[in-house]
Amino acid sequence: MDFELSDEAKEAIGKAKEFARTHFTEEVAERSDREEQFPTDIVAISKKEKILDFSNPWKVLVTIEELVRRDPGLGISVTISAFGSEIFMLFGNDEQKEKYMNPVFAGQKTLGLGVTEPGGGSDVANIKTEARLDGDTYILNGGKMFISNGQIADYFLVLARTSPPPSSEKKHRGLSVFVVDAKSPGFAVNKLHGKLGVRATNTAELIFNNVRVPKENIVGEEGKGFYYIMTFFNISRIYVAAQGLGIAHGALDRLVEYSKKYGEMSETGELNENLQLAIAEIATRVEAARNLTYKAASYLFKFTPNPIITSMSKYYAADTAVFSTRRAMELMSLHGLTTDLERFFRDAKILDIWEGTTEVEKLIITRMMLKEEGA
Amino acid sequence: MEEEYEILESTVKDFNSKYVDNNSLKLENEAMGKEFVKILADQGFFSMAGQGEDGKGTDVKALSVVLENLAKSAPAVAVKTLMMNSFSAAVKEKEIIDSISNGSKSGTVTFSDLLVGKDQNGSLRMEGGKVKGGKEFVFGSDSNFVITLLDSGELALIKSGFTTGKKHKKLGFRSIGFSSITVDSADFLILSKEGRKVLERMYEELSIPVAAIALGMSEGVSQKALDYAKVRTAFGHYLKDFQPLAFDIASLVAEMDILKRYFHDLLGGTPSDKEALFLKHKALVLAKDISRTSLQIHGGYGYLEDFGIEKFYRDAMALSVLFHNEEKDMEKLAGLVFDSRAGFV
Ligand SMILES: Cc1cc2nc3c(=O)[nH]c(=O)nc-3n(C[C@H](O)[C@H](O)[C@H](O)COP(=O)(O)OP(=O)(O)OC[C@H]3O[C@@H](n4cnc5c(N)ncnc54)[C@H](O)[C@@H]3O)c2cc1C
Repeated sequence: MDFELSDEAKEAIGKAKEFARTHFTEEVAERSDREEQFPTDIVAISKKEKILDFSNPWKVLVTIEELVRRDPGLGISVTISAFGSEIFMLFGNDEQKEKYMNPVFAGQKTLGLGVTEPGGGSDVANIKTEARLDGDTYILNGGKMFISNGQIADYFLVLARTSPPPSSEKKHRGLSVFVVDAKSPGFAVNKLHGKLGVRATNTAELIFNNVRVPKENIVGEEGKGFYYIMTFFNISRIYVAAQGLGIAHGALDRLVEYSKKYGEMSETGELNENLQLAIAEIATRVEAARNLTYKAASYLFKFTPNPIITSMSKYYAADTAVFSTRRAMELMSLHGLTTDLERFFRDAKILDIWEGTTEVEKLIITRMMLKEEGA
Repeated sequence: MEEEYEILESTVKDFNSKYVDNNSLKLENEAMGKEFVKILADQGFFSMAGQGEDGKGTDVKALSVVLENLAKSAPAVAVKTLMMNSFSAAVKEKEIIDSISNGSKSGTVTFSDLLVGKDQNGSLRMEGGKVKGGKEFVFGSDSNFVITLLDSGELALIKSGFTTGKKHKKLGFRSIGFSSITVDSADFLILSKEGRKVLERMYEELSIPVAAIALGMSEGVSQKALDYAKVRTAFGHYLKDFQPLAFDIASLVAEMDILKRYFHDLLGGTPSDKEALFLKHKALVLAKDISRTSLQIHGGYGYLEDFGIEKFYRDAMALSVLFHNEEKDMEKLAGLVFDSRAGFV
């Protein structure tokens, strides 16, 4: 067991730190948040400077953590351009990889993933968007809700029903994943406004009105879409956990800085014990969340994913982010309210929701554990 | 609850349904506007100071009932109402009190000197018969009058001659100004020589009204969650049928109900500082917990402002920072519980 990051990963942290220091100025972060404006320029620079090195997943993981630690909204915007690309990597054919995945990894194109619908996000198998085969094309009808990169993506991976489920218990069958070009006739996008946090990220509703998608745009096998999406979530949740680490660590940074500058001293001449213990608790949780996340990552990056540890890491890191930002807000008083910590507090809450709510993660953990024990 | 307070409660409910419910997000996000403030004033909501049993002080019971019910729909409106009343209670000049009561002028009391350390909130000095300098954190800085501590320890009412400076971020209550102020004013009154002591007493008197707002927010946000969980389905069940959600919200509603009874009990008598602080402490924690759970029940929709949930999540934290300081309040509470100074090492 080795708890040391590789030199390459350490280098990536340094690079991310420098990038964030240069580009994530408070002015830009505050403006993107206030105006709900995607940071197009910074994302372009990050692509040019190859801030995300997709050839090494550890580097991607620590880069997300470090960028988000500086600013969650900007950090996530910069690191979400390839959201869903692992689906191509694992299940796409060579042509799809060449045409769609490589330009995304090269920073030339942006991807989005459409799973959630207005009627539900947790219950993935119950989606209503349909794809009907008509000659050489599928015709897509339906809608997707809360889709990140919705307004800016060039392509979307979209989950749709291609055949009716064999029974109400087997609704996860008959779903397929398609690549949909954002320029397709019949495809429309509505930007969603008024998010609590991560307001620099772009979120939209997608509408499919008789959108024709060539047959060759189906990814993998028809009818296996549910399985592909779940496999993807077992990867992406680790990166969401890294977002949680970044936010929690960011809150810790700010609380430590506050305590050095303004922390009240007790009569014994030491920092108030209440504050000392809060810092210790947040720091311990961050460390525990990091260990879980890196453990999940090390399983995954050796191609032996462990969904139980993955869900544990996502749930725990999300909870740690919410906990840490809340405690820091409570302790920093008006200094928390008037600095970027309040943004961290708003941003953190998304982690309880996206890519599997906290309740769903916990259910996965127990169900998988019981299944393993049964086996 | 006594009849007069029941009547007051239904007055606020009518007011909410007429002026607030369909407008609550705007009232949270944008300056409230003279017209709306006038309507609030016309209800008598700004003139609860001077209505205590002996005709002096504030009728805390009535004010709390109003605040609780306003906060169910629009926490920012409740906070504005609290600010106007706490300002009025500190002032003796009839002309000023009248202008607050009728909504033509507004006032704020700066409690930030109690919330942050001594050197962190700017400085106001007396120079040649003028008050000069600046204050860092003035919540309600868009008001016509500001009550604030001077470096000399006096409590001053600045009637004019101040400008607002750097605007602070607004986690919650976005319709209320929050910024630094710069003062160069000969138009002021000294309200007390022992300013800090008076300000501390005023802050303590806020315990029950602040708790009332926190409770109202808890009621408002939890009701939204209960309603939503009855109609939204996942995996073929209503959300209310899932144990994690049902148990979480039920447990918090239980806590809320117990606190509400305690609150009404206190309103029926003369609450001690300890009781008032118990209530404030617990009500603020509850508002944060219950708004998190209620947001969570709404899933992605909870994260968007249209459902009117996320504002409670922000406001619950903003309330607990603007009218509360963990270390100071807990030190006071520990002292009251131990009956001697405690929790200071
Ligand atoms: C800013 C933002 C960006 C997003 N980006 C994307 C994206 O790019 N692509 C995409 O496809 N989706 C995206 N989402 C959607 C997100 O993944 C969903 O919101 C999430 O999966 C929850 O779904 P829901 O909102 O429909 O909530 P619901 O599924 O309706 O859940 C509501 C509540 O019920 C609980 N619940 C549900 N089932 C159970 C159960 N069995 N037991 C206990 N509790 C249960 C949930 O935990 C939650 O608390 C995004 C959402 C947001 C807010």
